[in-house]
Amino acid sequence: MKNRKQVSESARLPDHSGYFGEFGGRFVSETLMEALYELEESFKKAWSDRSFQKEYQNVLTEFVGRPSPLTFAEGLTRHAGGARIYLKREDLNHTGAHKINNAVGQALLAKRMGKMRLIAETGAGQHGVATATVAAKYGFDCEIFMGSEDARRQSLNVFRMNLLGAKVIEVDGGTKTLKDAISEALRDWAQSVLTTHCVMGTAFGPHPFPLMVRSFQSIIGREARQQIMKKEGRLPDALVACVGGGSNSLGLFHHFIGDESVRMYGIEAGGRSLSPGDHAARFQGGRVGVLQGSKTFVLQNPDGQILRTHSVSAGLDYSAVGPELAYYFETGRVHFDMVGDEEALQAFDTLSRLEGIIPALESSHAIAYGIRLAREMGQGKTLIINLSGRGDKDVLEVARLRGGVLS
Amino acid sequence: MTPQTRKNQITSAKKVIPYLMAGDPDLDVTKALLLEASKAGVWAVELGIPFSDPTADGPVIQKAAIRALSDRTSLSSVLSFLGTIPCSERPPVFIMTYFNLFLSLTIEEFVREAKRVGGIAGAVIPDLSFEDSKEVRKAFKASGLALVPFISPTTSLPRIKKILATADGFIYFVSLLGTTGKALTLSSTMEERVRDLCLRTKLPVCVGFGIQTPEMAQKILEFSDGVIVGSRLVQEENDPVKWGSLLRQFCEVARASAPSRHQ
Ligand SMILES: Cc1ncc(COP(=O)(O)O)c(C=O)c1O
Repeated sequence: MKNRKQVSESARLPDHSGYFGEFGGRFVSETLMEALYELEESFKKAWSDRSFQKEYQNVLTEFVGRPSPLTFAEGLTRHAGGARIYLKREDLNHTGAHKINNAVGQALLAKRMGKMRLIAETGAGQHGVATATVAAKYGFDCEIFMGSEDARRQSLNVFRMNLLGAKVIEVDGGTKTLKDAISEALRDWAQSVLTTHCVMGTAFGPHPFPLMVRSFQSIIGREARQQIMKKEGRLPDALVACVGGGSNSLGLFHHFIGDESVRMYGIEAGGRSLSPGDHAARFQGGRVGVLQGSKTFVLQNPDGQILRTHSVSAGLDYSAVGPELAYYFETGRVHFDMVGDEEALQAFDTLSRLEGIIPALESSHAIAYGIRLAREMGQGKTLIINLSGRGDKDVLEVARLRGGVLS
Repeated sequence: MTPQTRKNQITSAKKVIPYLMAGDPDLDVTKALLLEASKAGVWAVELGIPFSDPTADGPVIQKAAIRALSDRTSLSSVLSFLGTIPCSERPPVFIMTYFNLFLSLTIEEFVREAKRVGGIAGAVIPDLSFEDSKEVRKAFKASGLALVPFISPTTSLPRIKKILATADGFIYFVSLLGTTGKALTLSSTMEERVRDLCLRTKLPVCVGFGIQTPEMAQKILEFSDGVIVGSRLVQEENDPVKWGSLLRQFCEVARASAPSRHQ
């Protein structure tokens, strides 16, 4: 971090054009611009409105099951042989991941705005399930866009969304993954914008989505801060989270951004290798570009065509990254590294066996890095890993990868 | 008549702007299409550069982009390609593509290349919002290129005024909510909005998205200055002769329409 002033300024970003430094903006078609202004205004009003906050908090407590525990991971700490490891248990939320925090917030907002229908993109299916869940609860019509490759990898979540009354639309264009699902959601929104709210699932897309999603997820770090102070009597030395678009990481980081002593680590998917198309490590192999509404780091070829990505986890398998994280990369506030498929799968096993917790494959990337980091940091330090979701949705895919057949 | 000379005219013929995807299926065909467009007497063409993630486009143009990308068509390859055709043999070109492709060059490089190649009137960039386009507009203006603004059915009046204040080239009025290629049905609200726009700007107001037939173009030309025909023509791109004859039908309708009045 360069200086204290910069730290406190970061907390006030984005600016009113939706920029975090040079990243962010509203790179969408003119048809969506008025809707983005309407959304920004409604969000800002709601966020500073006590009755909205009360309702939101109430749903988080009564429906989502918050606060989520901060569990001391005794087995994992012993295994790593260094810093004390805590897990922020977003896996215990209703629907099994952090995604529900944001889906609840946006659904309450959409209700206030008088929208009738929710649409969402989904990669791992967690955000789709979360959106389908709140749509069922509040009586919205709901359609979820999902790449057909992801729908195959996460067939259980497709079934769950159907059970919840949502229609899942499989997207066959492009790479058949999250990126194509987002494009299709934006296309639908351009047509349905007068009646529909598009529930962006991560801290990405045009302003105000990155701000709004971060805000709805910041409950993670707010709780974690209080919990660690109570348990350890001091701030943690490091935070670790996996990075797809950035919602669970920013959710954990936000309330610690101003604490210079707290180091932050964002872990991207290293996939099979660092060859183009084999990974989703935007900060390793990407350069600044504009994709789906946002100026940020993007994996692309020299002509500017967006590259395919690969990760064993559908939720990290995306060519761009949220603009706020791009800004923290530039300023050095967050350190970015990556973990490949193999190491993530090992961590999936390790956590299952040592802690009795089956983590989501996305979160397994953070676990793997957390083990390395705890070892490096040594004893006397503490570390919080965001366990962004549970692994139930991944069990079939892991079985398939290992040649066991479950069906 | 070209976009450059239009400003001096008292009245001007109604305009037809075909959209075509460069490199679909290859640049030889694109060259044939440009020559057809020139013969048909279009005012300008919108030359699409394929992008892997075209969020404002429907299925027809998405598929054309995939075909063009398999030929490795890029912004710089298209600019070099245009440079091989004498300006007199091709209509004025508005480059149409997503903003990320311009970033692969830098705006300054694009402007320099466009000037060198010649016959490039400007660009249409569907995902570059008015708010985010300040620098591009400045760079374009400084070298006589037009950044064409969009106005959509959802654009409010205060916003229309802001957009018109810095507009250049022509006004791209988006006829419907949604993506390219969706079938358009005419409405009196659209007509009112376009007529109102024409009173507020000296630039030609051209209507695009979903124009499928010359008959529909004829109706729209009664209250606008021009039509942009995209997906319908893109469907015929593999056959330049058929493409040319369909385009000529649109141009004949435009010629038969009463001219636009502008000061
Ligand atoms: C459990 C889980 N963790 C992490 C992610 C990655 O997204 P983000 O970076 O927005 O937290 C996902 C995305 O689907 C997810 O389902």
